[in-house]
Amino acid sequence: MSVIWQKSTHGVLRRQEKAQRLIAQLLLGIIITASLLAAAYLALTASNVRTARQLWHMENQLVVAQRENEILKAEIARLSSIPVLQERSVALGYRPADAIDYLYVGEP
Amino acid sequence: MLRGPDARLRLIAILLIAALLPILGQLVRLQILEHSRYQSEAEALVQRQYALPASPWGVVMDRNGDLLVGNLPVYDIGAEISMITDTQMAASVLAPLLNVPEAQLLKTLTLPQDAHGIVWRPLAYHIPEVSAQKIKALGWPWITMSPGWERYYAEGALAAHTLGFVNARGVGYGVQAFQARFLQSESLSRTGTLGGDDSPMVNELINNSFVPYRGTDLRLTIDRTIQAYVEGVLDQALVDYKATGGTILVLNVRTGEVLAVASRPHYEPYHYADYVQNGQESLFRDPAASISYEPGSVFKIVTVAAALDSGRVDLNWTYEDTGALEYGGAVIYNSSRAAYGRQGLQGILDHSLNVGVATLTTRVLGAELFYKYVRAFGFGKTTGLEVTGEASGLVHLPTDWDWSDSNLATNAFGQGIAVTPLQMAVAAAAIANDGVMMQPHIVAERYYPDGRAVPIPPNELGRPISAETARTVTELMARSVEKFAKEAQVPGYRVAGKSGTAQIPTTGGYDPQQVITSYVGFGPLPDPQVVILVKLDRPDVPLSMRWGTQTAAPVFQKVAARVFILLGLPPSDLHAGP
Repeated sequence: MSVIWQKSTHGVLRRQEKAQRLIAQLLLGIIITASLLAAAYLALTASNVRTARQLWHMENQLVVAQRENEILKAEIARLSSIPVLQERSVALGYRPADAIDYLYVGEP
Repeated sequence: MLRGPDARLRLIAILLIAALLPILGQLVRLQILEHSRYQSEAEALVQRQYALPASPWGVVMDRNGDLLVGNLPVYDIGAEISMITDTQMAASVLAPLLNVPEAQLLKTLTLPQDAHGIVWRPLAYHIPEVSAQKIKALGWPWITMSPGWERYYAEGALAAHTLGFVNARGVGYGVQAFQARFLQSESLSRTGTLGGDDSPMVNELINNSFVPYRGTDLRLTIDRTIQAYVEGVLDQALVDYKATGGTILVLNVRTGEVLAVASRPHYEPYHYADYVQNGQESLFRDPAASISYEPGSVFKIVTVAAALDSGRVDLNWTYEDTGALEYGGAVIYNSSRAAYGRQGLQGILDHSLNVGVATLTTRVLGAELFYKYVRAFGFGKTTGLEVTGEASGLVHLPTDWDWSDSNLATNAFGQGIAVTPLQMAVAAAAIANDGVMMQPHIVAERYYPDGRAVPIPPNELGRPISAETARTVTELMARSVEKFAKEAQVPGYRVAGKSGTAQIPTTGGYDPQQVITSYVGFGPLPDPQVVILVKLDRPDVPLSMRWGTQTAAPVFQKVAARVFILLGLPPSDLHAGP
């Protein structure tokens, strides 16, 4: 093999090697980017699902709270109903007013 | 052929590509060519109609915000009986919690011999929260619990006819049935994407709320304190006068607001199903607005007001009362059968002279003018109160096929004409309100789920008579009370009123014994605020007592005295000071 042939052959090999390395880097870059994007997408989706579950849980809690609220409203209404108030006022010693006396207060 | 490594590599590459090509082809087919088909199939798989948590109806409050009708959470309990291992134990534990006899429950829980697969059975409906929580704590997987709501009547049977109820089919009575489209909440089902466990998927959760909206809340014009007092007085009056029924109405004359309306017999709205089962549906109709009666002499205030407003008579007008008047084939007598000699408008109201008002309609007004006023006062048509089944009453007009000339004479004193207590009260309120007739209403304000509050403004129905006429009639009525109706006088206050004792029409005539006594009045003068109508059905007292003045007037007096105080209206003699 002559020196000239060797030089030219090695030059071709180096160029091919360079091109292949470039392609490999490009492919690697694409794979890494795609993996990152996929990971981000998965993380986002997982986060969405988690948030949605939390939301679902909170909505269920709200429904329970709404039911408890209605029970409490009914209980307040029962305790302040006229028969209960009458009973309590009688127990406290009040009695129905027979008459009301109005006092005229003249303007100063 | 495949001697070199390059050749072998090439072959492997070709094989790999050949293997990938069908996959790529399928991807193209699935993702591009048949994309829409598969997408719709996927959507159909996850998109389903689902039930929202049962949402409560809007609550009903009185004018001061006190709860009258609320909601209580309840559960419908069922069981997948094919999963039960110890039926006897399950029945003995559940029976007291479900309030069902143990034997009956055991029968329900027992799996039939020929049963296959899952067998589900309902066990009990409308189980309260406390019991439901105890059942839940048992942790039995075969128990199913469907949450729901039931109406809660905070004051029991108070204002039963007004509040009414709505059954499962959406049919009912009272203001709840009339306003059901506001009270009821949104639809109970929705179409959306659900996961395998029937819980909503992410996009569904993000786009929609699952917390049920409550319906629109109503604030009524009813004052529960006045209502409770009025009901107590009515109950006592029925005992005192042995009446079979009765009605008391309290209206604000300036706005038409119904402050209280009580009728007997009544019912408990919560137990409406029991009344249906016992065939007592007639109790659901509100006698104040849905049942007509012949008003009798209280109607004379309409006749006198019409005569005065027409300008054909004035306070100097007189007629000769001979005790009887023949018109249209009928002879009209005064209730006392006595002749009163020369009388004017004041005398007509003082002595409640049938002959006097018949003279006004037949000799002074004539049919056309009289019925023009009758219609203008709202008789023969509904008032528009927000309750179901309001009656329009019955007014015979000269153009009707069943008209009789004698109607003109008898209608003058409220016979041969049918009105509802509400119509009569509204007409009296028009006289009290300077001739301006306000539409009676029972809903004061609506509170929508989005936080909006919409007050219902007063609505004027018309001006049947002038303010001057109204004031004159008021004065005539007030003087009549002062001179001849001490039973209706309210100490410290000046009131105007008129009593009535009406015969009850039966087939082919009138009941010779039974009457309906009534009293309509308003006060305190000179600036009347409320009109009160009292009606007692068939009081069973001695004949000498069977008059409106003897029975209904004292009830009016009692109610008026308390209502004036509760509304903070000072006595008439206090206005001028000491």
